[in-house]
Amino acid sequence: MASSNHSHTELHVGKFEASPKLKNLTYVFIAIGAITFAAGLMKNQERIWASYLVSFFFFACAGLGGLFWSAIQNLVKAGWSVSVRRYAEGLTSYIPVMVVTSFILILGLKYLYPWADHDKVAESALLQSKTSYLNVGFLVVRLAVFGLGMLAFRQILVGNSLKQDKTGDESLTHKNVGYSIGFVLFFAVTFSLFSVDTLMSLLPTWYSTIFGIYCFSGMFQSFFAIIIPIAIFMKRSGFVKGYVTEDHLHDLAKFMKGFTVFWAYIAFSQFMLIWYANIPEETEYFIMRAQHGWMGISLALFIFRFVVPFLALLPKSLKRDENHLLMVSGLILVMQYVDIFWMVYPNFFEGHLTFGFWEIGIFLGFAGLFLAVLLNFFSKNSLVAIKDPRLHEASHHHVSY
Amino acid sequence: MAKRSIGGIAGIWTEEHSVITAAAKTRESGFSKFDAITPYPVHGMEEACGIKRSWIPYVTFVAGLTGLLFGLWLTWWTSAVNWPINVGGKPMFSWPAFIPVIFELTVLFAALCSVAALFYVTKMPKMDPPVIDPDLTSHKFAIFVPQNDVGYDEVKIERLFKEWGAVEVKKVAEY
Repeated sequence: MASSNHSHTELHVGKFEASPKLKNLTYVFIAIGAITFAAGLMKNQERIWASYLVSFFFFACAGLGGLFWSAIQNLVKAGWSVSVRRYAEGLTSYIPVMVVTSFILILGLKYLYPWADHDKVAESALLQSKTSYLNVGFLVVRLAVFGLGMLAFRQILVGNSLKQDKTGDESLTHKNVGYSIGFVLFFAVTFSLFSVDTLMSLLPTWYSTIFGIYCFSGMFQSFFAIIIPIAIFMKRSGFVKGYVTEDHLHDLAKFMKGFTVFWAYIAFSQFMLIWYANIPEETEYFIMRAQHGWMGISLALFIFRFVVPFLALLPKSLKRDENHLLMVSGLILVMQYVDIFWMVYPNFFEGHLTFGFWEIGIFLGFAGLFLAVLLNFFSKNSLVAIKDPRLHEASHHHVSY
Repeated sequence: MAKRSIGGIAGIWTEEHSVITAAAKTRESGFSKFDAITPYPVHGMEEACGIKRSWIPYVTFVAGLTGLLFGLWLTWWTSAVNWPINVGGKPMFSWPAFIPVIFELTVLFAALCSVAALFYVTKMPKMDPPVIDPDLTSHKFAIFVPQNDVGYDEVKIERLFKEWGAVEVKKVAEY
């Protein structure tokens, strides 16, 4: 019926308050993570650092995804997304934690990366020839430029958006366009290097020029699997009424489907060229991931990261179904973890598939930190960019056939 | 010569919101074959006119699936059955190499069939349909009820259209 679809329900933004249960849960998670990390440092250094790297990268992607997506929304002057943009901006509150955890990672370099291990470098002429780029000093510089750059851009882009909540100054929206262009350029270069440094250089003799984009595609797909549940949570718990409708969920789900296909496209491009050319320097990566139980994970990635979400997000009605979206988002998040795990773990433990308490504990620790900063951000700031000049476009957003 | 277009009666409105209300009321009055003609896509018009979802997406899906299976068969038959050639010592049926072909055929079938279905649904190409009002391409909105609609009654429709705020009611002749 026409009127039910177009009558404008009352718009309402409440003050977000995390339930004590949720708050306690984050503390429990952080405690579990800290205990696991401490125990791991004493008992099983190699394992704990590998586990740390996977979870570190997983949550770095969540924070960066929020910044990248909100920059794109500024950049293209999007109107429809204004009412959900604040959730993405909330994710960026993880970026300071990402910077700190990236510096902690430096302590574990020699357990993770052959190029950071003097004995291994001394044995291999190939590694020696790469040390002008792959050395601890330069890596620290790159991590610092990456982390501080992201912090600075977050301060500007999200800071302007939050400032607008108070002043209502329209010029901040226009200023953010230019900064977003700068950010996207900075991000393209530094995120590629970040992926190469933290994940690809685990196997320093192997290289793939598409690797940065592969990591980006996974990051962006999983970002939607985070923002959609947040939007549904805020809608269901009644903090936000009318600003986030099923039309917004529909468009976010389209985004998620689009980047599901993009991930498959990039993953296949990387695989096919290496398989076709069949050069030993390149094929070792996939050979490692076809043995010792890894073949199953490789196939699972293809099926559960692409085929299932793609088909599940194809029908229109399912893209507007909250419970369905929660399930698909959950699946994609699990597969994002599996994907990073799949990139890291075959390099360790003689290539055998290893998973257990060390991985779960560290993941929970990071998840606790992530939730803590997120809850803090939402309880301090408005849940909708309430004075954005394009907000009316978002609250009248309607997806036609 | 067979009639190419059915005549009827058209009301002209000058405001977007009033044409949407009028379309909803036309539907509530029991007409089902009427059409709204607007210079640009009007949000909410589909619901007001009671237009159901198009079935073209299903054509796209089935055609895409057909293209996928055809691509799979084509690459298998040409490379592994009819003219097997050993390339780089790889298996005859090397599926990774065939994915691009299969993908392209999926897209080709899906796209061409969607366009064909669109032409069929909209009965295109429709040459020189009657012009109700040239201003319908710039700033006016119309609702057109064809002669063969249920309960077609020119006097009644004209009265209703006027009642719903039509600035003008025009008869459109068949031809």
